[in-house]
Amino acid sequence: MATTLPSSRTVDAPRGVAIALRGVAIGYNGEAIIEEIDLDIHQGEIFFIGGGSGSGKTTLLASLITLRQPLRGSIVLDGIEVVGADEDALSAVRRRFGMMYQLGALFGGMTLLENVRIPLEEFTTLSNDAMDGVAHAKLGLVGLAAHAHKLPSEISGGMQKRAAIARALALDPSIIFLDEPSAGLDPVTSADLDALIVALNHMLGTTFVVISHELASIYSIGHRLAMLDGARKRLVALGSPAELREHSPDPWVRRFLTRTASASQGAA
Amino acid sequence: MTDAAPQARAEVRVGVRGDQLSIAIEGALVLETVGAVYESLAAPLRRAPRGVALDLSGVTRLDASGVAIPVHLFRYTKAAGGTFALSGVSGERQLLIDLALRGQDPGPRKAPPGAVRVVGAWAGDIWTILTDLLRFSGEVSIIALQIVRRPRLLRWKDTVAAVARHGADAVPVVGLLGLLVGAIIAFQTYDPMAKYGAKLQVADVVAVSIVRELGPLITAIILAGRSGSAFAAEIGTMKVTQELDALRTFGLDPVRFLVVPRMLATLLVTPLLSVYASILGVLGGFLVLGPKGITFMQYALEVRAALTIGGYMQGLGKAAVFALLVSGIGCLAGLRTGQGPSAVGRAATRAVVAGIVAIVVADSVLGSFFYTLGI
Ligand SMILES: Nc1ncnc2c1ncn2[C@@H]1O[C@H](COP(=O)(O)OP(=O)(O)OP(=O)(O)O)[C@@H](O)[C@H]1O
Ligand SMILES: [Mg+2]
Repeated sequence: MATTLPSSRTVDAPRGVAIALRGVAIGYNGEAIIEEIDLDIHQGEIFFIGGGSGSGKTTLLASLITLRQPLRGSIVLDGIEVVGADEDALSAVRRRFGMMYQLGALFGGMTLLENVRIPLEEFTTLSNDAMDGVAHAKLGLVGLAAHAHKLPSEISGGMQKRAAIARALALDPSIIFLDEPSAGLDPVTSADLDALIVALNHMLGTTFVVISHELASIYSIGHRLAMLDGARKRLVALGSPAELREHSPDPWVRRFLTRTASASQGAA
Repeated sequence: MTDAAPQARAEVRVGVRGDQLSIAIEGALVLETVGAVYESLAAPLRRAPRGVALDLSGVTRLDASGVAIPVHLFRYTKAAGGTFALSGVSGERQLLIDLALRGQDPGPRKAPPGAVRVVGAWAGDIWTILTDLLRFSGEVSIIALQIVRRPRLLRWKDTVAAVARHGADAVPVVGLLGLLVGAIIAFQTYDPMAKYGAKLQVADVVAVSIVRELGPLITAIILAGRSGSAFAAEIGTMKVTQELDALRTFGLDPVRFLVVPRMLATLLVTPLLSVYASILGVLGGFLVLGPKGITFMQYALEVRAALTIGGYMQGLGKAAVFALLVSGIGCLAGLRTGQGPSAVGRAATRAVVAGIVAIVVADSVLGSFFYTLGI
């Protein structure tokens, strides 16, 4: 690979901390949406972020991938403080992770194959054939092998999402961020995606940070779940999804995890 | 990007028996090694084997890029009509490879278009554009007739807004260009004409060329750049965002709704702008001649003598024709916008280029037409 990892980077114990947040507040124009986030995401974890629509999940993710500075606090990625770091340092950090944006963000003028090739062209010395091969394989993993030569405008919304996942996988990053990967996917495709996440996680120890409302996914593959509540501006729950569903002291969290309408609030 | 040891290594062992290839890979089959594996497979695959057997039992580490190797061999053998057998994988590795192999079909390779085909496509393009233009003119004329009969059908508000945006806002730039072109003509013709003692007749040259020819031409070219491209981009964006489809599902005709107001507005403002450009062009001529000792009175009388009513009408007629061409082509380019984010840009470019070409062609046709009429 063309990228050189900093020599100071230590080989962590199996359960090292991939991302550490301390006293983080996120928001826009100085106004916080969520405050006082203290959170460690471990290496090799499948970590879900949940919460109501508009509660700040995408905004939090933008801070984790260093595209948006938090209002306050500290974020340490792979041992590097990213809050206040300069662009050069940030772009070195960014190469270590893959990101799938909520709306796909595929490059519209390029075919799916070319979209997946872009990071390979920029950061590897692979031959042209090998790049094509790797890109075909990544598209195959998300079930889009047959559509490699189409433009994003020629495929459906769910397919665009999967293509964006293939692009996030391009460099086999050690941390992968996915913003609502299964929204808009049918149950079978969605289950295939879960299987892919688990396989990569087991085989390579890839860390996944996934925003999702898909309770089935959260329970079947999630190691831990963090829940954001926009009304209270806080991270209101953190733990194993099944545990939180049964034993969270917070009724809103239990309702969220059992899909109970707020009107029929039985438990107090 | 993986946490692999810095020097990930892969060994490739290739055995050939007849037309069967057996490949065994050992070590780390990951992004860092996949390029080298590709290279060591290139030579054996050139023998065009009928069957490939891949053994991955010696692989210590496999990532999503390493999966490219089985995918590559699978696609290769499938394209050649051969067989592919995979061994030495189980569990999650098997799953990963199975996921990646779904739907892999090498298909026919897309050949880049040769020069002949490019030219052919280009000629075909022009043909479709011309027929399209004719059909579009028909559509617009029919709706224009309907509106003449029932003026309520016209979107007055949109028309007035377009007049302001594409007429009033163009005044400064049209005026400036008219003034400068008038001055340039006077400047370039003054010396040769003065040699024959025909200083004052420079005014004739300026007046005739500006009023009959350059006033309408300058106006139309600016219009193609400002309004033609804007029409294409506005309507093209609506097409890309499916707003045109939304209009149609309401039973509203995009030609009546979007095209006619824009064309009508352009038709109203272009002759006015052209007259304005001509007046400033003639003034521009005086800016050069004044300092050479010609008084404003002399200049004005000379200009008046040089101009005929026919010359005036010729300029106005041209401006009207140019207006219809530029606005029609701009709107048509917008309606025919393709898919995807770059399509709007292409539509705007096409509107400007086609608009200017149409203006110049129409100008030469009209010029010879008026000449034979003796105007
Ligand atoms: N660019 C922006 N400027 C100002 N406010 C913004 C901006 N983007 C988002 N917001 C606000 O921040 C809040 C959180 O938005 P965010 O996109 O993080 O929500 P989300 O949890 O990802 O929601 P969803 O589940 O619908 O994607 C929202 O109230 C939104 O209005
Ligand atoms: Mg979001």
